[in-house]
Amino acid sequence: MASVSIIPSGDYKTSYGSDTTIFPTRTSRNFAILGVVLLLACPAFMDRYWLSLLIQIGYLGIAALGLNILVGFTGQISIGHSAFFGFGAFASAWASNSLGVPVALAIPLAGMMTTLVGLLFGMPAARLKGLYLAIATLAAQYILQDFFARADWFTGGTAGTIAEPLTILGFAFDTDERFFYVALVALVVMYILATNLMRTRDGRALVAVRDHYLSAEIMGINLTKYRTMSFGISAFYAGIGGALYAHYLQFVSVEGFTILFSIQFLGMIIIGGLGSIMGTLMGTAFMVFLPEAMQALTKLVSGTAIDTALNLKDNIAFLREMSIGLVIILFLVFEPDGLAHRWKQIKAYWKLYPFSH
Amino acid sequence: MSIRTALFATSALLLATSATAYADIPVGHLADQSGATSDVGVPYAQGVADALAYINSKGGINGTKLAVDSVDYGYQAPRAISQYKKWSSGSDKIAALQGWGTADTEALTGFVGKDEIPAYSGSYSGHLTDPTGKGPHGSKPAPYNFFYGPSYSDALRGMLMWAADDWKKQGGQGKPKYVHMGANHPYPNAPKDAGEQLAKELGFDVLPAVQFALTPGDYTAQCLTLKQAGANYAYLGNTAGSNISVLKACQTVGAKVQFMGNVWGMDENAAKAAGSAADGVVFPMRTAVTWNADVPGMKTLKEISKLSDAAGTAYRPVHYMAGVCTAFYMKEAMDWASKNGGVTGPNIRKAMYQNKDWVPAGLEGVCVPSTWTDTDHRGMTAVNIYRAKVSGDTGASVDDLVKAGTIKLEKLTTVDVPRKPEWLGW
Repeated sequence: MASVSIIPSGDYKTSYGSDTTIFPTRTSRNFAILGVVLLLACPAFMDRYWLSLLIQIGYLGIAALGLNILVGFTGQISIGHSAFFGFGAFASAWASNSLGVPVALAIPLAGMMTTLVGLLFGMPAARLKGLYLAIATLAAQYILQDFFARADWFTGGTAGTIAEPLTILGFAFDTDERFFYVALVALVVMYILATNLMRTRDGRALVAVRDHYLSAEIMGINLTKYRTMSFGISAFYAGIGGALYAHYLQFVSVEGFTILFSIQFLGMIIIGGLGSIMGTLMGTAFMVFLPEAMQALTKLVSGTAIDTALNLKDNIAFLREMSIGLVIILFLVFEPDGLAHRWKQIKAYWKLYPFSH
Repeated sequence: MSIRTALFATSALLLATSATAYADIPVGHLADQSGATSDVGVPYAQGVADALAYINSKGGINGTKLAVDSVDYGYQAPRAISQYKKWSSGSDKIAALQGWGTADTEALTGFVGKDEIPAYSGSYSGHLTDPTGKGPHGSKPAPYNFFYGPSYSDALRGMLMWAADDWKKQGGQGKPKYVHMGANHPYPNAPKDAGEQLAKELGFDVLPAVQFALTPGDYTAQCLTLKQAGANYAYLGNTAGSNISVLKACQTVGAKVQFMGNVWGMDENAAKAAGSAADGVVFPMRTAVTWNADVPGMKTLKEISKLSDAAGTAYRPVHYMAGVCTAFYMKEAMDWASKNGGVTGPNIRKAMYQNKDWVPAGLEGVCVPSTWTDTDHRGMTAVNIYRAKVSGDTGASVDDLVKAGTIKLEKLTTVDVPRKPEWLGW
């Protein structure tokens, strides 16, 4: 998706390199670095509740970015993303429990294993488009979910499996305060990787496939290769996210990886902004914070006059689920380009203030 | 623009209010109100919630109130674990947990042991009964897990012993055929091996297990399998909702099987929903009586019930009563702890070992006397076997049906399952 950034007068580009820079201005780069530094200080003043939410944003954000590369950048569709996320989680737990691979290595290994599975399920993508592809990925979701429930040796079956905490040189990242740094480092690395990928020849090819596959093919882009590759990359991100999830929660169960979770991933990238790396993170944050906020709201309502008047009682729990759905619909209606687009408009507004035209 | 601004403002406000504040004695309460086991999860959670609210209304634990945080986790173990992580953090760390399902309770066993938080669950998995992890069946230590009732395995053992007798009494010829039924999920699977093993020892012919989902559906195929295999006794490992589907389907195809539900497999609501299909189903009951009984403890229960039913007219199923008993065992342990060093996890655990054959004050005649020791968390091994009796149309309310005698839960017998050391944690 083309980005409109506000460049100060006189700052013009003279090379392709400067045209594809990650940060359009020095200030924006400094702000990004400042943001990461501020995040580093979070465990000092945040309690475990808030940290656990930030960690969730971390591992879900990585997986969602994978989906955005597939859907937002390549124009494919997948409604089986949570199954790849789950595969990464189980693969990492399996590698560390059964093969004795240290967790620090099991996480990237899980990413690679998931890539292979992603490539396998991505093969139909070479031939299928749109709804047909969606249904093919739905099959991936069900096949993998069934595999998780049956493959006792790999997943512990329906009882689930324990995942050891990440330990580096005897230092265990087994608390939220410690794991926060793992999630943060992984997030930054994976996001930089994706940003750079999109600046390469391959990344541009993915976008070309999305924008007009026929033109892309005429230009010499191998559609089959790039479509399948996109599935592989997407699965790699899902696998890394899943592995981090496993070693954070220290328990993996098949119950977590439902089709609903896959839809939530789609929700994250749509709300954040399709084809926007920053938007993916914003969308993930939104989807993580929204249920918590709704939970707080339903708690406030519980026992009040509204509760008694509407005779909600036990149904108050459902109110939360329903309002999450409603907020998402409102977002899609009023903010179809996602949070990333809104953020750009806010920046533009202040840049031009008070002369908005 | 104004709607968008409002959207953002609301989101910001909600985020600002989402931090939870604790005071007094924090207690976490995991409930399944919307998941696969919500049919029995809702009344059980209501029993726990009402009991805890009642305890607070009477001054709490020696004057300190309980700060209860009830959360519906939709019967998803990962959600329960992330919720637990929130509860077990920082200065507002919970002193005890009122939990629910088998998958989540078993997954949390290691965590609650490490954090020293007593977990009172609605799961009676035999794996949770071994506090030291020395059971010969490879059980893992579960030092902080407690539940009120016979374990799933012991309940099934009790029913199998009854079934073996029943077969003789009925004049059955040859080996009776036993089959384990349930979803492929930790909860129905928990007593599978223990049950099949004992069934073989008791002279049953054990058939391959039959699977059916935790949610209601069409289980005609499963019933035809039962019929073709000629099963005589079948254990229903799921909760009432999906069991009803099986009972109805089996009635339709004419499979004449003696069904044995587990503690969550049958109740008054299920008997009403299944109608004549529920007639004759046997199941173990955790409390000594049902709602309309005349025992001293029912007075307290009726008062507790008023907290969520001011009119005091609601009929409460057996699961509600079991929830109240569970909450009260925790309450009494906390009482002891507050007088002996403070309401901390290790002290609550210690308190659980102070009494023998113990019934919480005020619930006499309702809760069955239970004993926990630091080497054995099988609170009770006596299995009260009841039979659901449905005579006639079940169109009216449960209260009316029970009053009219259309639905009856009749006691058959009490089987004392031996407290064998080799059955610990299994």
